[in-house]
Amino acid sequence: MICAATARFRFRVSSLAFFALTCAVPAHAQWVSFPHGTVQLLTETNSIAPGRGFSLGLDFRLESGWHIYWVNPGDSGDPPRVQWKLPAGITAEAMQWPVPHRLGSSSVADYGYTGDVLLIAPMRASANLPLQSPAKIGAQVKLLVCRELCVPGKAEVSVALPVSSGIPAPSSSRALFSAARRSLPQPTPKNWRLTVKEQKNTFVLAAHTGFHVAHAQFFPLGDDQIEDSAPQNLASLAEGFQLELRKSGRLVNSISRLKGVLVLPSGRAYQIDVPVRRAAPGTPGDGLGRSAN
Amino acid sequence: MRKPSTPGLLLVGIALVFAAGGNPAAKVGEPAPDFTAKASDGKSYRVSEYRSKFVVLEWHNNGCPYTRKHYDSGNMQKLQKEWIARGVVWFTVISSAPGKQGYVTAEEENAYLARMQAAPTAALLDPTGEVGHLYNAKTTPQMVVINPQGLIIYDGAIDDRPTAEVSDIRTARNYLSLALEQAMSGKPVETPTSRPYGCSVKYP
Repeated sequence: MICAATARFRFRVSSLAFFALTCAVPAHAQWVSFPHGTVQLLTETNSIAPGRGFSLGLDFRLESGWHIYWVNPGDSGDPPRVQWKLPAGITAEAMQWPVPHRLGSSSVADYGYTGDVLLIAPMRASANLPLQSPAKIGAQVKLLVCRELCVPGKAEVSVALPVSSGIPAPSSSRALFSAARRSLPQPTPKNWRLTVKEQKNTFVLAAHTGFHVAHAQFFPLGDDQIEDSAPQNLASLAEGFQLELRKSGRLVNSISRLKGVLVLPSGRAYQIDVPVRRAAPGTPGDGLGRSAN
Repeated sequence: MRKPSTPGLLLVGIALVFAAGGNPAAKVGEPAPDFTAKASDGKSYRVSEYRSKFVVLEWHNNGCPYTRKHYDSGNMQKLQKEWIARGVVWFTVISSAPGKQGYVTAEEENAYLARMQAAPTAALLDPTGEVGHLYNAKTTPQMVVINPQGLIIYDGAIDDRPTAEVSDIRTARNYLSLALEQAMSGKPVETPTSRPYGCSVKYP
């Protein structure tokens, strides 16, 4: 049925590649190579429906030893930049980035991914998306792939998805999407109390979680807010912890909120978005967040 | 835990923290840390001897695609010539460790400068990474500007296009030139910092 729809299309779009893709997808997405890795554009469902959201995924596989970058790449590097080619009626929402790893050296800290990573791209289909023709979605991905050296790469991927009014059936890639969602940072639990106190050289993030925490790692979303390569000193509190984050030397203007991802030893990761309180002048600033709010 | 009993011990402690943690020894608005480094021309250069002039520090790695963007296009050489003609002292700094990408001997660097028609005041060889760490250099190309009073007035990227593509240079806002232009005409530097983009500095 997908191919039949394409046959009609061929009068206008004579590209053989388009024909092949349309027939093959969504069951078999095409792998496209870039230096030291490959990528394919996956769909979570076998079709899309007008007025409903759906998800695509950029499925990266990297050669051993090579990495790509998180949305904030840290001290160096650059995240994959995606330019969508979308038919009228389909819009792309913000990309969802799984929790990164700290890479690089002791003095240059980078945030990114090794091995396999799926970046989920939520999409929206307007209510008046035409039903007859498959929606062809393309993405031009520009990325930097690094080991010790860095190589810029480029890849063009695409899928064609039938548009039908029924509830879309899951594709064979559904499990990959579910796994990737589990590695996304979650909102912090409601009973947590979080504070961020600004001191001369540090931000002190205090979290009252209700349980003992012996280790935590913070990944900043904004660049040049904290010194990426500085150690993050953790002090356990009775029911939580506080983390000292050294300010970046390039932080000229003060920030009003600290945003990022906090990873606990359980592997659980949380979205952090906390207002920054300036320490009152003259106070020693013990940073032991007394959780005024 | 024993407290350091003498100021000497305390100082050692601080120095270690600085080295290990990448503490910002250099900061915009503050005095530029002084150093002496050997250049590919065989001479030694001490940065504080250039008070009364603007000094540019350009972190460099000839194999990095982001550095190559600015050299293969001739952009960096053009900036060097333009600003040196206006009295600026320009030091290219190579902090790659021996065996790592971008490490060069003095002879190799001199051959590179000639081949690329690059014209910095000097190319400083920093194989130990000492100067790089002093300025907390993270990437190539990262740019630092020191004013005639010896204060750092810019630290960051060369421009606002964090790509390795030559075609982006034409439409980029060049932060280095803006900082120099504004400071020379007595204005405050509008963008004193930016995230330096590029390859990581290949420290030991």
